[in-house]
Amino acid sequence: MSENLDSLTAAQIASGVASGDFSAVEVARAALDAIDSRDAQVRAFLQVTPELALAAAEEVDARRAAGEELPPLAGVPFAIKDNMNLVGTRTTCASRMLETYESPYTATCVRRMLDAGCVPVGKANMDEFAFGSSTESSAFHPTGNPWDPDRVPGGSSGGSAAAVAAGMAALSLGSDTGGSIRQPAALCGVVGMKPSYGAVSRYGVVAFGSSLDQVGPFGRTVEDVALAMDALVAGGSDAFDGTSRAVEASFRAHVNDDVAGGRVGVIPELMRAPGLAPEVARAVEEAADALAAQGVELIEVDLPHLDAAIAAYYAIGPAEAFSNLARFDGVRYGYREPGCPNLAEQSAKSRARGFGAEAKRRQMLGAYLLSSGVYDKYYYAAQKARTLIARDYESAFGRVDAILMPVSPTAAFKFGELSDPTQMYLSDLFTISINIVGNGGVSVPVGLGADSGLPVAAQLVGRPFDDARLLSFARAVERGLASAGRGLAGAVAPLFAGKGGDLA
Amino acid sequence: MRELNDVLRDWEAVIGLEIHTELTTLKTKMFCGCRLSHDDEPNTHVCPVCLGLPGALPVPNRGAIESIVKAGLATNCEIQRRSMFYRKHYFYPDMAKNFQTTQGPVAFCMHGRLGIEVAGRGAAERPECAFGASEAESLASASANAAGLSRAMAEQLPEGADARPSAGGAACGSAGGAVCGSVGGSADATAPRGSVGAEGRGSGALAVPVRHDDGSYEATIRILRIHMEEDAAKMVHVGGEEGRIGGASESLVDYNRCGTPLIELVTEPDLRTPEEARLFMEKLRRIFLTIGISDCSMEKGSMRCDGNVSLRRRGETGLGAKTELKNLNSFKALHDGLAYEICRQADVLESGGVVRQETRHWEPSRKRTVAMRAKETADDYRLFPDPDLEPFDLSDEFVEHCRAEIPELPDAKRDRFVRDYGIKRPDAEQLAGDPATAAFFEESAAGLVGDAAQTVANLVVNDLAAHLKASGSTLGESGISPTQVASLARLLAADAISSNQAREVLEAMAGSGEDPEKIVDERGMRQVSDAGALQPIVDQVLEACADQARQYRDGNQKVIGFLVGQCMKASHGKGNPKLFNELLRATLEG
Repeated sequence: MSENLDSLTAAQIASGVASGDFSAVEVARAALDAIDSRDAQVRAFLQVTPELALAAAEEVDARRAAGEELPPLAGVPFAIKDNMNLVGTRTTCASRMLETYESPYTATCVRRMLDAGCVPVGKANMDEFAFGSSTESSAFHPTGNPWDPDRVPGGSSGGSAAAVAAGMAALSLGSDTGGSIRQPAALCGVVGMKPSYGAVSRYGVVAFGSSLDQVGPFGRTVEDVALAMDALVAGGSDAFDGTSRAVEASFRAHVNDDVAGGRVGVIPELMRAPGLAPEVARAVEEAADALAAQGVELIEVDLPHLDAAIAAYYAIGPAEAFSNLARFDGVRYGYREPGCPNLAEQSAKSRARGFGAEAKRRQMLGAYLLSSGVYDKYYYAAQKARTLIARDYESAFGRVDAILMPVSPTAAFKFGELSDPTQMYLSDLFTISINIVGNGGVSVPVGLGADSGLPVAAQLVGRPFDDARLLSFARAVERGLASAGRGLAGAVAPLFAGKGGDLA
Repeated sequence: MRELNDVLRDWEAVIGLEIHTELTTLKTKMFCGCRLSHDDEPNTHVCPVCLGLPGALPVPNRGAIESIVKAGLATNCEIQRRSMFYRKHYFYPDMAKNFQTTQGPVAFCMHGRLGIEVAGRGAAERPECAFGASEAESLASASANAAGLSRAMAEQLPEGADARPSAGGAACGSAGGAVCGSVGGSADATAPRGSVGAEGRGSGALAVPVRHDDGSYEATIRILRIHMEEDAAKMVHVGGEEGRIGGASESLVDYNRCGTPLIELVTEPDLRTPEEARLFMEKLRRIFLTIGISDCSMEKGSMRCDGNVSLRRRGETGLGAKTELKNLNSFKALHDGLAYEICRQADVLESGGVVRQETRHWEPSRKRTVAMRAKETADDYRLFPDPDLEPFDLSDEFVEHCRAEIPELPDAKRDRFVRDYGIKRPDAEQLAGDPATAAFFEESAAGLVGDAAQTVANLVVNDLAAHLKASGSTLGESGISPTQVASLARLLAADAISSNQAREVLEAMAGSGEDPEKIVDERGMRQVSDAGALQPIVDQVLEACADQARQYRDGNQKVIGFLVGQCMKASHGKGNPKLFNELLRATLEG
């Protein structure tokens, strides 16, 4: 048998390992081989971890040999966004500031994936400190979109999305502060979920915007994402994250639930938003058709304050980022400017040289927004806008179970194409509002766009803590598209599919 | 420079205190599970949270919230049901995250008050003109004009901008979980929803001090707020001048203290003399000791006080420039530092100078304050609600649970001691001020009233206290039991021993743990109070001291003391001196 690892979903890998079709070590070797063959071009990884991967895989095999029941994702290779701590790896946040920073502890989300049997293959590239939508602000190197390496994978979790899209990992973890999971998922043609705020522990994930950040998984199928969600919430709320909540680990159990009779909202006004590419609008319509064909009732809803979301986000996000990144002063860890005569100069120069342009821009903005006299005008107003947007959603969810909308306004763009930061910020229009409000959202690939030939996607947004049901709608879209010969479920970007990574 | 009392006749000192108290009786830090420690090896009680490592998150310590609510209830504060933590930013390595987690405009405890009783010499610091109608005006104008961080925050920052997204809003961390009721997560700019505690507030409700005939007076000191925060790390600057960072060759940071739960009490500027400040601090310390939230050691720094003081001419309603005094780490330092600073400011003003708004350091050895740093521009701390910490919504049950745990407070205990035991008020005050001492007294004086109880009180307040001070031990370590003290008191009451002998017995008790009766018998100390047995000694002494006897008869009554001494000597200390005195007089006058 010479099967390529990338033809298997996480569910199939776990079941193959459990039944002895192949060993976890064989899977890990195949994954590492795929990375060897493919990542020189994709550059999704900042650090590959063969020792950790093989050690974890050996443990899985030993447990199986001892007759133990294997955890649900035993042997599944996964990639970790490089803002998540894992002992034995650096956690660089793709920043010079943390270039040599070794993780002193392991993040809860990573720990839970390991507990579910996953095998860590490496740390994935990202926009520096998650500031960006293209992974171009990584201090180390850009990451190519596996569907067209001249284009960006999206961001900020671009490496995590690209690793899965190129078949180098079956699953990966990302973090989403304003769309940083869903947008790269859309651009790379994979499934990406931002769960409700509090569903997944943030402990050990280097914070960007504490009230906005949420960890979530990437996979090539909705079922794989459901399995990863089960792993992430298993064990209940995290005692190390006061904002985390207990969520039932029943994502996989409900993912194939019948959606007939369900109600999904559509927002006609959003579909006319300036800058929305026709092929993306068409993708959303296709997703709607797929749902309707399965007995879902489509209902027009309105989110009148959505336009305030970007403004609110760019007040709250930078303010929290300024505060969260204040700790990087070069005193105890991170980049330290040598030869400074005093503390003030050392802090200032370490920060000036350690941070890249976008990280500095956001922190400067945040410092200004929080300063005395300015605070009321922007930050406080943003919090009020937050309430208004939350009310919009609440009212919409009185009538529907989920809302369908675009993810990114366009398919993947070329490197350097969006050079004006404000233009880049505007591309977050469809993803930002649920970070502001805290409910969950998922990006589902619809197929290749008629104009670009690149992946296009639709987004489903759910009620707070109704994430399992949200995934069942996402699965219905995936199922409906597949039966119509569309969708990308399970697909690896053709440039890389089968390139290295054969299961021995 | 002029004397304090002289200065205060012309100048009114407006004083406010900021008192930090570490919650040393808790087991763990404010936002992580690290053990609280004072004297351990540096950086041995640290974790990703208190080191501020990337990715770490705070989880509030429920016990700390209980402690601050108790502190608020015990100082007549309103307990704010809804409040939250804020981040206060500054770049300095003693705060690992470069921000301190503290509270915003609404603290857990707001608008409290404590009464103080000022008597004795210290009461004279407040001049006659500072009583009556003019004082009412003074109080109102001082607080109306007072400026400080807390007040500035209350005015500038709207509270209630909950940074939490509403979807996650109802969550509570496990450690803080039971503290919260449901949290709405609304970002409405609403006023704090509810509060419990003290009734009226504001200067209108404030009693103006009235001086009694003996010079004493009572004053009510309002408390603006008590808020919860985390302590900073300890820094040691090696090679710098006087341990300061300037010129230091290296700086060492010990993060053991970083994240220690700390409560800060801010008074209204209602204090007018150093003595009042000292008494307020003493009273607060007694209360905090009684409710058991801290060891309140000013020496070790677990209770620290900064004093803000400004002067204005008597009768003026505006406020002068204030200075902030630091290093007031004993009651004496608090008093003397403020006294010096008041005199210094008067000196500056009277010589036509200007008081600079600055922080000054009290140097007890040189008895002076020196400028630390000028505060010409207000620091911008960029306060905003901490998005990692849910707003608190304290339940009735939680507040009542805290209230139920507050033991009898020192004032109530003092009054009860006076009422039930019939002991003198100052002794009752001293006994009631320390929970261990009070309990010891009550056990020793069980069932006693009047003179018998007073004898116990005297032993505890005077002899026992002196013994503890001399031996440097605490009540618990001393090995002396209430049963022993009760027994010793009985010996005193029965005139079986003299008070001088009592002290000797006490020492013996501490060493051996034996019963005083036994000690007295073994040492043959039992005092002879039998007139028949003592009369021969009296006669013998009068015969030997014929000169002194004559002097007495000639009207020099004082000589009786010498004669009693001779009798005591002749009886080898066993005779009852009081009885010798009586017998001598009777014999001489007979």
